[in-house]
Amino acid sequence: MNIIEIRGLKKDYPLGDTLVNALRGVDVTVESGEFMSIVGPSGSGKTTLLNVIGCIDFATEGSVQIGGREITAMNDRQITDLRLHKIGFIFQTFNLIPVLDVVENVEFPLLLMKSLSRSEIRKRADRLIAEVGLQSFAKHRPSELSGGQRQRVAIARALVTNPDIVLADEPTANLDSVTGASILELMKDMNTQEKTTFVFSTHDANVLKYARRIVKIHDGLISPN
Amino acid sequence: MRLILLIAWRNILRHRGKSLVIGAILFLGALLMTVGNGVISGMAAGVEKNIVNGFMGDLVLISDKQKSDNILFEMMGAAIEPVSNYKAIKEILQKQEFVDRFLPVGKNLAMVLKEDEATPSGAYLLGVDFSDYRKMFPDNFKLIEGRWPRPGERSLLAPAFARQQFYDFANLWLVPEGGGKPLEPWPKEVVGNLKNVTVSTNIVMMGMASDVNTTTDIRFPVVGVVKFGALNKIFGHFCLVDIESYRECLGYFTASNKAVEVPKEEKRLLDMGGNDLDSLFGSAPLVVSNARSSGSKPPSGATSPLTLSLSKGEPSAPANVEDGVYNLVFIKLKPGVPYREALSRLNRALADGKTGIRAIPWNKASGPIGSMALIIKSALFIFVTLLFCVAIIIIVNTLTMAALERTSELGMMRAVGARKSFIGGMFLGETAILSALFGGAGLLTGILAVKLIPLFKITSDNDMVQILYGGDVFHPLLAAPDIVLSLFQLAAVTVFAAVYPMSVARGITPLDAISKD
Repeated sequence: MNIIEIRGLKKDYPLGDTLVNALRGVDVTVESGEFMSIVGPSGSGKTTLLNVIGCIDFATEGSVQIGGREITAMNDRQITDLRLHKIGFIFQTFNLIPVLDVVENVEFPLLLMKSLSRSEIRKRADRLIAEVGLQSFAKHRPSELSGGQRQRVAIARALVTNPDIVLADEPTANLDSVTGASILELMKDMNTQEKTTFVFSTHDANVLKYARRIVKIHDGLISPN
Repeated sequence: MRLILLIAWRNILRHRGKSLVIGAILFLGALLMTVGNGVISGMAAGVEKNIVNGFMGDLVLISDKQKSDNILFEMMGAAIEPVSNYKAIKEILQKQEFVDRFLPVGKNLAMVLKEDEATPSGAYLLGVDFSDYRKMFPDNFKLIEGRWPRPGERSLLAPAFARQQFYDFANLWLVPEGGGKPLEPWPKEVVGNLKNVTVSTNIVMMGMASDVNTTTDIRFPVVGVVKFGALNKIFGHFCLVDIESYRECLGYFTASNKAVEVPKEEKRLLDMGGNDLDSLFGSAPLVVSNARSSGSKPPSGATSPLTLSLSKGEPSAPANVEDGVYNLVFIKLKPGVPYREALSRLNRALADGKTGIRAIPWNKASGPIGSMALIIKSALFIFVTLLFCVAIIIIVNTLTMAALERTSELGMMRAVGARKSFIGGMFLGETAILSALFGGAGLLTGILAVKLIPLFKITSDNDMVQILYGGDVFHPLLAAPDIVLSLFQLAAVTVFAAVYPMSVARGITPLDAISKD
């Protein structure tokens, strides 16, 4: 079953007087439970592709379906709700809420969903924090954590809502190699345990060995394997 | 909501510097707003207390022929039109359940005559029944020299300010008949100059009414000197005289004549002079004689053949004083009666009765004084509003900067699934918490300041400042509605200050956050 289905995706950016063709007709499908990496050099369009899949950016042309729903026709509220319920994000720069501690950061999406009781939210957050190995840091603020620990919190937050897809844009770019490897191991474990689809971008060859499927992108086009 | 407030509160603590800047503005704004509202309310209450309760009541009845509603200090001394049907008006007023008290008065300008002064000065006369006047305005002034007039006595009560004016412009220093020790010492300049000044127990005045153009000179015996509790330099222009003397001075027929004005033909006859003019008035109680001065330096003008000398303590004993002519009727409403409604109902009743009289509110009747109060009130309101605007601009700027600085955080929240309303609510929450804490503190400090200010008994002799004070003592006042108004204003500042930063924050997208990173 395809969880992501992209057809003829084009994305243009105006840059001064010129128009940059970031994506020039991308066709790609992702099956549920995949652990897929999008690779390519800087400026190839991998981040743009991830952003469009994550409903963070919008296609200029083409079709993008997430879980069978066409997102290009959705309004802001529908897209926000889709992000909340179906997609988890792991950003390159960690991006945690600085005024919330670890457990509150992980709880944040669940609190936005308003579908679970307070105790259930706490229970689920505690489980995820334990899975990423940060029980003893539960009451720490992001500023009190290392880069690797923050990225673990981001992973726990991305997974806490049981999303269909987790998108990670160069999740190890700001980490040392050991920490980066542990993060990828963790993501892979989660993929195995939770059956969550992971799509991550990287231009680091060392990261690729973790991916079960690799999609290469170059100059805004998917390169044939 | 809990999450929004939690994040908002922690953001306030995280950005202490900005929070303190905004908080300080809100504190100062709320403090000044509250004190400003207190000053405005105190002024309104003070002006009402002094003018309404101390001088003219809530409403004033004037003739329909009266061109200007300003009957306090009319421009160029234009005369107040006579009201000759007081009895009919009285009947109407007695039927109005919202009317508490009313007082008919004569009010016009008179010229002070003194033989050794080439340039005559003027004075406003307020012709009243003294005992009725005291009942209507029991505490508006105090007697500082002499005594109160006896019922029906032909006499004049000189305000201390008017006496000073007579001294300054007519070299005349009035002392009450019978003397007595003044409660307030005379000015040093007067005491040191008594040899060169005319000290008199009476004053000769000639009424000035535009239609009548009377030349009747009346000698008023001074029985007392009074001082108004507040706005003495405004109300102190008005010498209180008995109504019959007033009518004679203005050339109006007295009560016994039951007429409106002295016709010009008869005035010409009066101008011809003579020692037996009583015959012109039939049974009029006036005694026409050569003027006699009981002052220390009798003016030679007293020999004017038409000076009507009012014998000391002699009751005028008119047939019915209410039959004569007045100029105005001062009306006090019962407490709690809305004056607009009363005004409307009274004017309807006066029109139905075909009285040729209309009612006007005190602030219109008091002309420049009422306008001045309104202008100062408006100026204060504008000042407070400007204060709001400045506070709003600074807060908007600071919050907008805060929103832009937090693009990554806000964009990430949006990426994770926070709706725009959540982001907006977070900003509103931050502003609301700051408003509640700092604005609340400012409001409480303002309330405390308003309570403490009167203890310092800040006084002023300046007329304009007294209008601002609503009396001679600065007495800001905060009632429950004023506090509610301050709270409302604070809430308005909060909302207005948060609107633009909210829209900026709501407009931040996850892409903005990624682009910034």
